Amino acid sequence: MASQRVFQLGLRRAAAPGFVTFQPAGRIVQRRLAATQNVTATESNEILAKQRLQRPVSPHLSIYRPQITWYASSLNRITGVLLSGGLYLFGFAYLAAPTLGWHLETPSLVAAVASWPVFAKVAAKATVAFPFFFHSLNGIRHLTWDLGLGFKNKTVMQTGWTVVGLSVVSALYFAMAG
Amino acid sequence: MATTRALTRLATRRTAVPPAIFTRGFASVDPIAREPISKAAEAAVPDPARKPVPESQTSTIKEPEAEKGAKIKTFHIYRWNPDEPSSKPRMQSYTLDLNKTGPMMLDALIRIKNEVDPTLTFRRSCREGICGSCAMNIDGVNTLACLCRIPTDTAKESRIYPLPHMYIVKDLVPDMTLFYKQYRSIKPYLQRDTPPPDGREYRQSKAERKKLDGLYECILCACCSTSCPSYWWNQEEYLGPAILLQSYRWIADSRDEKKAERQDALNNSMSLYRCHTILNCSRTCPKGLNPALAIAEIKKSMAFT
Amino acid sequence: MASFLRPGLFRQTCQNPTASQCMLSTFTSSSIKRATPLAQQLRPSFVRSAIPKSTRIAAFHATQRQQLLPPQPQKILGTVNDPAPVPTPEPTHGAYHWSFERLVSAGLVPLCIAPFAAGSLNPVMDATLCALLIIHSHIGFEACIIDYFPKNRVPVARNLAMWALRIGTVVLGVALYSFETNDVGVTEAVKRVWHA
Repeated sequence: MASQRVFQLGLRRAAAPGFVTFQPAGRIVQRRLAATQNVTATESNEILAKQRLQRPVSPHLSIYRPQITWYASSLNRITGVLLSGGLYLFGFAYLAAPTLGWHLETPSLVAAVASWPVFAKVAAKATVAFPFFFHSLNGIRHLTWDLGLGFKNKTVMQTGWTVVGLSVVSALYFAMAG
Repeated sequence: MATTRALTRLATRRTAVPPAIFTRGFASVDPIAREPISKAAEAAVPDPARKPVPESQTSTIKEPEAEKGAKIKTFHIYRWNPDEPSSKPRMQSYTLDLNKTGPMMLDALIRIKNEVDPTLTFRRSCREGICGSCAMNIDGVNTLACLCRIPTDTAKESRIYPLPHMYIVKDLVPDMTLFYKQYRSIKPYLQRDTPPPDGREYRQSKAERKKLDGLYECILCACCSTSCPSYWWNQEEYLGPAILLQSYRWIADSRDEKKAERQDALNNSMSLYRCHTILNCSRTCPKGLNPALAIAEIKKSMAFT
Repeated sequence: MASFLRPGLFRQTCQNPTASQCMLSTFTSSSIKRATPLAQQLRPSFVRSAIPKSTRIAAFHATQRQQLLPPQPQKILGTVNDPAPVPTPEPTHGAYHWSFERLVSAGLVPLCIAPFAAGSLNPVMDATLCALLIIHSHIGFEACIIDYFPKNRVPVARNLAMWALRIGTVVLGVALYSFETNDVGVTEAVKRVWHA
């Protein structure tokens, strides 16, 4: 066989000084300039565990492309937290008002807001209206997903931008004219 | 190692041929040592009628024009070396002439590794989008490098990162161990106790088989799971879209009889229900699958039961 | 049994090269001075460690926005062939919770549209809206706490946050009941303040 001939040729050529010694049992030993070490399975697992401790975590929020998918979802959560947080804070304040000497009954609130300048009223209304409409419309979007509808990429993008547009329009309308 | 081979070459310099036995297992193949084997193969399959195609009937591959009209594009690639573990990961820039590079990002990475920086490390195998090895974050989106075309606009610079929020072994290579452990935990095999009715195959109607379309094609590249913010924050307990898609592949399989057990495995606050339909997964799937829809179907199948 | 190259020994032989090795290596002492940042990074690591720190050129740094909880060093229990642990089923935190959450959200949709159509709501509808709002807010905050305060990472903070939420929700319930009874109710109040 051709490979056998190559092997024999190789053996003959390898009778060069230095790196090959031929031992009696026909074994060929190579001499290398690097040290090798036998490691047991448990030791190698320990080495791996130690290496794992050093590993960095690849970047995520800072490098992922802004997309309507996760931006709308994070905005949904943020608006939810703002609206509910506001409700919770109002609740606590309403209960604490008598002790603290505040007046949070409806007549006082109405009188306080009536005294604000127009731009402040519009700004405050828009700041409350946008999160409310966005969270509500996106909530409807979420409920349609829970029914199993609207999962194609194109549909997701269309519904996402529709919700954003509608909430902006509604917020402006109710802030200025409503 | 390369130095051993080089030293071996020097030691046997008398004859021009290094012994074949010392070239074991290296990536480059010694052409002279290979010759006897290829000639033997030719001798085994003779085909005297096959003559080479004459020159008049073959095309000429011209040399590309050097430097005139060269389209130089810059790539910024995430690098980290485990041999210097305390060093911070960094972004390394490379420039390539797109005229000499293949159309896909993987071609650019291979060209960089071959001709510019051999230390750049990444996984790759099939180069055709079926193995899932080259999954990485290119220009902010998780995709397969072999399927992602290089944008030809040389004014824009491309950014290549490894899959987001994964522990990095080296450069663009993430540690996929937890991903595979999670895959194993959903028991991705047919579980059935009753023998087939006709004693031969577990039969399935065409409609039942159609339910598996869009589920079985998953190549487990992990692009979707690593695009999910919920998976970023709760990797240890939340299974992620890829694994949940495969879980649904077995829940929806009419031949499988352990649907209730599979659903029970997901019936806790973390494994399935950390999904808040963020929908990054379906957006990023390089094979066009819809993990979000599969997860919605799992939730529907478990609701009100 | 795994055998592998120990970099330490190899580094030693190469830092004091013998004559026969010198002609193989392209690394000479003079070449360090010609180093550009790219060339420095391209050298194999054993050579790079020979370059004194002062002459090493700083590389790019990818900044990372601060998270609530930065990731811990990697720890894998068992090998890659051991499946990840499957938790015991808890439907109250799983499927029942999800179904209940969707029912509440679905119920809120008509209750939020009605005030726009009808002006303001009668006390019963208003009370229902308040109750559903309270439950919906509680579930929402609970999801945030579960997402961002993992039990195995910060068990104390997680418990504190959950109890603070529960107490807060009860207090809110009391507050809105009081507002409903002693005042005009949520929808009427919003209407009046809006048109102030």
